[in-house]
Amino acid sequence: MSLRVGTLLAAPVTAFLLALCVAPLLILFAYSFFRVDFVAISYDPSFANYAKIAGSATYRGLILKAFGSGALVVAITSVIGYPVAWFLAKRAGAMKSALLTLLLVPLYSGDLVRVFAWRVLLGAEGVINRSLIWAGVTDAPIQGLLFSPLATHIALTYNYLPFMVIGLWLAFESLDDAWLEAAADLGARSPSRFARVTLPLTFPGLVAGGLMVFVMVVGDYLTPQLLGGASGITVISAINDLFGTAFDWPLGSAIAWTMLAILMAFFAVGAMLIRRSSLVGGS
Amino acid sequence: MSRLSTLWVWAVFAFMYLPIAMIALFSVNDSKIMSLPFSGFTLKWYAEVMGDGRLGGGFLTTLSVAFPVAICATLLGGLAALAISFYPMRGRGIFAVLLLAPFLIPKLILAVAQLIMFNETGVERSLLTVIAAQTVIVLPFSTLVIASVLIRIDRGLLEAAADLGASGLSAFRRVVLPLMANGLMASWVVAFVLSSAEYVLTAFVSGRAQPLSVLVASDFRFALSPSLNALAVMIVFGNIALVALAELIRRRASKTGA
Repeated sequence: MSLRVGTLLAAPVTAFLLALCVAPLLILFAYSFFRVDFVAISYDPSFANYAKIAGSATYRGLILKAFGSGALVVAITSVIGYPVAWFLAKRAGAMKSALLTLLLVPLYSGDLVRVFAWRVLLGAEGVINRSLIWAGVTDAPIQGLLFSPLATHIALTYNYLPFMVIGLWLAFESLDDAWLEAAADLGARSPSRFARVTLPLTFPGLVAGGLMVFVMVVGDYLTPQLLGGASGITVISAINDLFGTAFDWPLGSAIAWTMLAILMAFFAVGAMLIRRSSLVGGS
Repeated sequence: MSRLSTLWVWAVFAFMYLPIAMIALFSVNDSKIMSLPFSGFTLKWYAEVMGDGRLGGGFLTTLSVAFPVAICATLLGGLAALAISFYPMRGRGIFAVLLLAPFLIPKLILAVAQLIMFNETGVERSLLTVIAAQTVIVLPFSTLVIASVLIRIDRGLLEAAADLGASGLSAFRRVVLPLMANGLMASWVVAFVLSSAEYVLTAFVSGRAQPLSVLVASDFRFALSPSLNALAVMIVFGNIALVALAELIRRRASKTGA
C-alpha cells in the first residue's frame, strides 16, 4: 500500500493540532517580543521582556525553583517507584494487570479531588496531626505541615509516581532475565549485577519516566497554589498572575517561552540518552 | 529480598489509596470537623450536595462539555492511531511528536497561549472554546488507548482481505473497524473522564458557563466543608466506574483481537 492512506488519515489531526496547539504557541512566541504601553499592547518587537527576566533575581529564582522541584520529585519517585516497577514486571505474575490498573485508578479522580484530600490529611486539625498527637509523638499539632514546601512535594510525589512506575515498568518488561543469569554464571554478585546489568538496561525507562514526571512537576499549577501557602508561588503561577491580574501578556509570554525552551532542551537530551542506552542494550 | 519488595509495594499502594480512603470516611462522618475520632455515620453531606442547585448546574455544564470532547477526541484519536500503527505514512516521527506535544507542554502555558489566540482572532470564550481546548489535551490519551487495541490486530488480515478481492475501503470497514470498535468505546470513556476532571485549561477558556471543576475549585480555595468530601467521593466513584467499564471493553478487545 502506498504511503498515501496514512498521510490522508493523519491530515485532519495534523490540521487540528496545528490550529489549536502549534499556532497558539507561535502567537505566544510573537507576543513575548511585544510590550505593554499603559493598557494597550505595543506591537513594537524588542528583547526587552527577555532582558527583564534575565536581569530579575525574582524570575531567575522562580525558574530555578521550578527545576529544583522537578529534579527533587524525579529523584523521590524513581527511588520509590523502582522496586514497584520491578515487582510488577517480574514478580506480580497473574496479578500484574490488576495491580497496574489499581496503580492508575487514583489518577482518574482528577487533580482537584486529590489536592483536596491532601488538605484534609495534612491540616492543623487533620488526620496526620491528630494521629501523631494520639500516638504521643507530639503534644500540639505541627503547624507547618500544610501550606509548606513539604506538603507541596508530598502531593507532587503522590500525583506523578504512577507515571514514573509506568516508564520503569516498560523498561523492566523488555529486560530479558537471561542477561542476569549470564551475569550470575560469570560470577557477578547481586549488587554488581544490579549496577552493571539491571540499572543500565532499565536506564531508558528511568529517563522516560523521569522526563514525564519532571515536565509535569514544573508545569503543575494547582498543587503548589492550594497546598504551598506562601511558598506556593511558582513560575507557573507568576505566568498566571501576569495574564490574570497584571495584564502584562508580553512578559507572561516571554516567561512561558523561556520555560518551554528549557523544557525542549531537556527533551532533546532525554531523547538522546534513551537512544544511546537502547543501542547499548541491543548490541 | 522478595518479601521486602512485597512489603514495599503494599506500602506504596497504601500511600496511593490513603487520600481517597480518607475523603470516603469523612464523607459519611457526622461532624463538621474533618478529623479523628469519628462521630458517627451520616448521609447528610450527600443530601446537601444533591440538593445544591448551583452544583447541579455545574454538573450539567460538565456533561455538555465532556460528551462532545469525548466524541471529537475519539474520532481524531482513531484517525491518528490508524495513521501511526496501521497504515504507513510519511513523516510518522514528526506526527508522533506533534501528537505528544499537548501532553508534554505545561497546561497553563497551553491555556494562556489559547487565550491569546482566541483574543487576537476575536473568538468569544464559550463552551465551544472549552470543547476545542480540552480535545487537544485529551487527544494523546485517546490515541494511545485506540493504538493499544490496533497494534494487537494481525496486519495479515488486511492482506487476506485484499487477496479475497476486497478494496482497501471495504477491508477497513469489514475487518479493521469491527476489531477496533472496542478501542473506540474505551477511548470515549477515558476521554469523558479526563474532560470532566480538567480544571486549569477549563478555567482559562471558559466564559460565563462554569463547569463543576471550576465551581469546586473556587469553593475549596476558601473553606473545606464535609459536603465537598461527599462531592469528591461521588466524582471519584463515578470516574472509577467509567474507567473500569473502559478497561473491561479494552480487555474484551484484546481477547477477540488476538
